[in-house]
Amino acid sequence: MRSTFHSIETAKRALFTEQANISTTGHNISNANTPGFSRQRVNLVASRPIEAPGYMRTNIPGQLGTGVEFTSITRVREKFLDDQFRNANRSLGEWSVQTDTLSKIETVFNEPSDSGIRTVMDNFWKSWTDLSKDPESITGRKIVRENALALVDAMNETSKHLTDLQADLTTNIATKTEQINSISKSVADLNLEIKRLEAYGDNPNDLMDERDYLVDQLSKMVNVTVVNTADGYNITVGAGITLVNGINAPGTTVQGLEEQFNGGGVVGGEIEGLIVSRDRILMDYKSQLDAMADTLVNGEITVTIPAGSTYNGTKLIDDTPVTVKGINGLHKLGFLFNTPPNTPVQAGDIFVTSDGSTTVTAENIKLSQDIINDPMNIATSLRTEVISGSLETVKGNNSLANLMAGLKETQFQFSPVASQNGITNGTIDEFYASMIGQLGLQSQEADRQSTNQQDIVTQVDSRRQSVSGVSLDEEMSDLIKYQHAYSAAARFMTAIDETLDKVINGMGVVGR
Amino acid sequence: MALRVTPGMMQSQLMRNINHNLTRMSSQQNELSTGRRLNKPSDDPVGITYSLRYRSELAMNEQYDKNVSQAKSQLDHVDTVVGQLNDIVQRAQELCIQALNGTNPQTALDAIAVEIGQIYEQAITIGNDQLNGKFIFNGQMTDKAPYDATTAYTATAPESDDQLINVRFSAGVSVPINVTGGEVFGKTTDSDNLFKTLKDIQNALTPTANKTALENAYGRLNTRYDQIINVRSEVGARTNRVDLIDQRLKDLEYNITTLQSETEDTDMAETIMRYNQEEAVYQASLSTGAKIISPTLIDYLR
Repeated sequence: MRSTFHSIETAKRALFTEQANISTTGHNISNANTPGFSRQRVNLVASRPIEAPGYMRTNIPGQLGTGVEFTSITRVREKFLDDQFRNANRSLGEWSVQTDTLSKIETVFNEPSDSGIRTVMDNFWKSWTDLSKDPESITGRKIVRENALALVDAMNETSKHLTDLQADLTTNIATKTEQINSISKSVADLNLEIKRLEAYGDNPNDLMDERDYLVDQLSKMVNVTVVNTADGYNITVGAGITLVNGINAPGTTVQGLEEQFNGGGVVGGEIEGLIVSRDRILMDYKSQLDAMADTLVNGEITVTIPAGSTYNGTKLIDDTPVTVKGINGLHKLGFLFNTPPNTPVQAGDIFVTSDGSTTVTAENIKLSQDIINDPMNIATSLRTEVISGSLETVKGNNSLANLMAGLKETQFQFSPVASQNGITNGTIDEFYASMIGQLGLQSQEADRQSTNQQDIVTQVDSRRQSVSGVSLDEEMSDLIKYQHAYSAAARFMTAIDETLDKVINGMGVVGR
Repeated sequence: MALRVTPGMMQSQLMRNINHNLTRMSSQQNELSTGRRLNKPSDDPVGITYSLRYRSELAMNEQYDKNVSQAKSQLDHVDTVVGQLNDIVQRAQELCIQALNGTNPQTALDAIAVEIGQIYEQAITIGNDQLNGKFIFNGQMTDKAPYDATTAYTATAPESDDQLINVRFSAGVSVPINVTGGEVFGKTTDSDNLFKTLKDIQNALTPTANKTALENAYGRLNTRYDQIINVRSEVGARTNRVDLIDQRLKDLEYNITTLQSETEDTDMAETIMRYNQEEAVYQASLSTGAKIISPTLIDYLR
């Protein structure tokens, strides 16, 4: 036997359920543009059918439906796509940082232009040619001095810019680490809340979305491994760093991340991009520039000293090739002008270090103070003669100036440090051009990679949107469906009402 | 695959495509507005190495061009001065012939001797000629006067410097821009040293004429004259060589500038064409975007 009011109960259930449907649709529409939101669905089931109560099983055939009810509201999401997205996002983070750094380095070197190191280098060699045409004068020497200063400035400046970039990256790493920790903290907080709500048997969909969105952000910064446990997400980096452990967020430090990086635990993400940029890319260009400065000043070269020059105190009969150490070594073969009875003075170094160390770098290269004070300390002559009884430097001899100008085309021996450039023996120009070429290639590659990764991320995200995104069309058609169902349920209720009305008020009045 | 399409997807896809279009357009616009397709190393990593070399070579070429003009003016000056010397030596030859005629009275010979004396002085002046304050006939010792009128004819006169001054015109190519006093006037030890010869002529004329000595000196004057002509033609040959180098530098400059332009410059016609194509695509993506994005079911539900 069924209850008299059984159908009213069925209609009520339908009304409630459809209302839940409509509310959820409204929630979806409202969050159509919320980042990280995944659409939610009310899971409907037919409620348990009944049979009439009785002392024994009723003989009425069939089971009577009792209408509808919803068991849960869940979000539509695919974990696999999340993993894919995070992997792609990680690479995007790494390459976009490298692209950024490399394009900054390109700006620092500023080639091709009329103001880069190449230009000041050319001007330096040109000034020697100018001096060779007028070796007696101080004017030519002043030009050489100014161009040498410009060269030194350009090198110092470039090296300083690279150092500044490194310092910026160090600051960035610290900021990113703070961000990682703060996001980890939020994830841990959400873990706690989600766990509490799940204890009641609920699905905290929106909180879960928020948590996933935070992990998405983390995945761009560093390679994270996410494990879903009973206590919520446990997030680790590499083998040694635990960012989130249930409701705790131990977080990490810059030092911790760097150690992981060195141990191969940090692969990908902005953190790796930053560390690689700072410790590999920038270091590489800095050391190449240093090698260039050092080789210019001290690298071994072979020059041919023309006949008639005074070498080691004797007059050369033939052109003689000698090996000297860089521009300084060559300059030291020259003689400064003297006024008898003073004897000719051997020239000194052109370039020295500002910090007194023996290795010249782009940062510490400096024009010799003697030359800054008095350009006459620049030598042009390789020849001394006894003139009217006293030894004198021959002022019109321009052999040294010519050799100096010729250094532009002279092969230098580069120190092995520089061999990552691929050049161990070549002109300074070749070395510089190959360095800039390498920079161009690296930058182009990084740019290509980050564009690719960006495309992949957008694509995967699009797949995710396909699964989880809110489609307004769909929601609207659902809304209409639910609205109709609601109306129908209400009509059903009215129908039952009318039936009961008939029973209560319309029956037993026969013949009245 | 039956993909569920959501507005978010379409919007992000549209944005990505529009963004790609814009990126390409912006790089082409940059090429068009700078006129260069090589603005930073990553634009063409191989091209940049060539570009750096071309720029460097052009800069050096410019410098060598300056060297050429200076060398030319210096050689021209040497030519002029040797020409002057040529003239006075010719005059001395004429005077010698006149004196050797045999019919000259002593007074006439004295007068010739005086003129030879003047020529000697003039030769010293020419020997001590300066350009830009530098003595041109003293080799590399450009700060010292090579000849002294009181000693130049003696056997103990100091030798002028015999080293040449070279000017570079490109890697490995240099040309001397001076001639030495020894080549022009003869070394102190040479029998046909100009100063010694002139002095000998003067001494053979006055106070008493010595025809044998005069004839002997005249012979030496002639060989010196030939030497001077030789030097002059060598200076001319060097000027020609510098002219050739000049021509070569100009050709080189043209070639390198062309190469540089090919490496660095935008091919305007092609880029403008590509830009127009991109622009059309961009416009299309915008207009279809506007059509796709705006309508939803809501627009049709009343």
